[in-house]
Amino acid sequence: MVVNKKIRRFFFPSLTPAFLIRAGCIALIAYLVFGHLLTPFRIKGHSMEPAYRDGEFNFCWRFQYFFSKPKKGDVVVIRFAGQRVSLLKRVVALEGEEVEFRNGRLFTNSKEMNEPYIHTPYDWNLSPRQVESDSIYVVGDNRSGPIQNHFFGQTSLKRVLGSPLW
Amino acid sequence: MVIPVGDYRKALNPAEIASKRKPAAAAGPGSAPEGLWPGGSSGIISNGVKLKYLLIALIIIGLGIGTSLTLFQSEEKRVKKHFRLLSEGVSKEPGENIFTMDQKIKKIGSLFDETCEMNVPAHSLSGMLTRDEITGYAARGRLHFSQLHLKFYDFKITLPQEGIANVHLTARVTGKTRAGEAVNEAHELDCLLKKAEKKWLFSHIKVVEVLKK
Repeated sequence: MVVNKKIRRFFFPSLTPAFLIRAGCIALIAYLVFGHLLTPFRIKGHSMEPAYRDGEFNFCWRFQYFFSKPKKGDVVVIRFAGQRVSLLKRVVALEGEEVEFRNGRLFTNSKEMNEPYIHTPYDWNLSPRQVESDSIYVVGDNRSGPIQNHFFGQTSLKRVLGSPLW
Repeated sequence: MVIPVGDYRKALNPAEIASKRKPAAAAGPGSAPEGLWPGGSSGIISNGVKLKYLLIALIIIGLGIGTSLTLFQSEEKRVKKHFRLLSEGVSKEPGENIFTMDQKIKKIGSLFDETCEMNVPAHSLSGMLTRDEITGYAARGRLHFSQLHLKFYDFKITLPQEGIANVHLTARVTGKTRAGEAVNEAHELDCLLKKAEKKWLFSHIKVVEVLKK
């Protein structure tokens, strides 16, 4: 009986002022944390496989690049459309650097990049191009299939929202 | 004038108007109790009547606000409505008949200016297009789909001068091609609308390029 009462009180608490204040505080903290600090997201698509798989759940750590800029090899969350659609990509070149794909190998400033995260061979070719200022060059880890079918390229640093938590 | 301490009520109420505290004392036998309506309890208006009139007043105020919001729409709302009309025109349900299709295509055409600048590189659509060209493109595009939905959200509307609206928003296209392939695309758009004869018309639509190869 006592246990039943406790369970009932847990699920249907009496609406006392103290309870309402507590509930309000929890709601506010949850809004700040999950709305602005650790934004939850679900991965749709295969562009970052095998590191990040389709359907996986993660959080975007929004303060990651608050005091620093993304580095080469970092995985970043980029705002793509509005507030709801974002992209998960890997940074391969920074501002001022030259990027080129030659027979399925990535070159930055004419030096071949070591990419241990690539598990499937690809045959992309892209003429050299320079990354503009305040921009980064991002590509997905899964580069199978024709180059035309992939979303990649340079984007403004302003669009970088943060990095995945894990 | 000196008011005796023990008789202050009489001094403040020299005509002996009925006191609220003692209604029975003021009203004679058989007469209506105090207040404006017979049958009232305490107070000027009885509680039941008070609540009834309060509810009526609230309903009238609500109707008034609703009517004024409907009749006097802000320009932002009119611009948003224009996008809703475009969304309705583009969207397609499975088994759509020719009559509905024709109506929708005409509707799409009526939403655009005589010429509209389009920059949609993903669909190889760019340059100045006439209303007829846009209508033809929309008709051909819709034919590829068995089901199509276009939704707009995240509106940022600015009205830099009268008759011009800049809109930054997100467009999401979902549906199924005739081959059975699922489509789910989202793009950020920059649109310019111009007002002509009290009607907003699309004058420029540009897809924001987020990733530049």
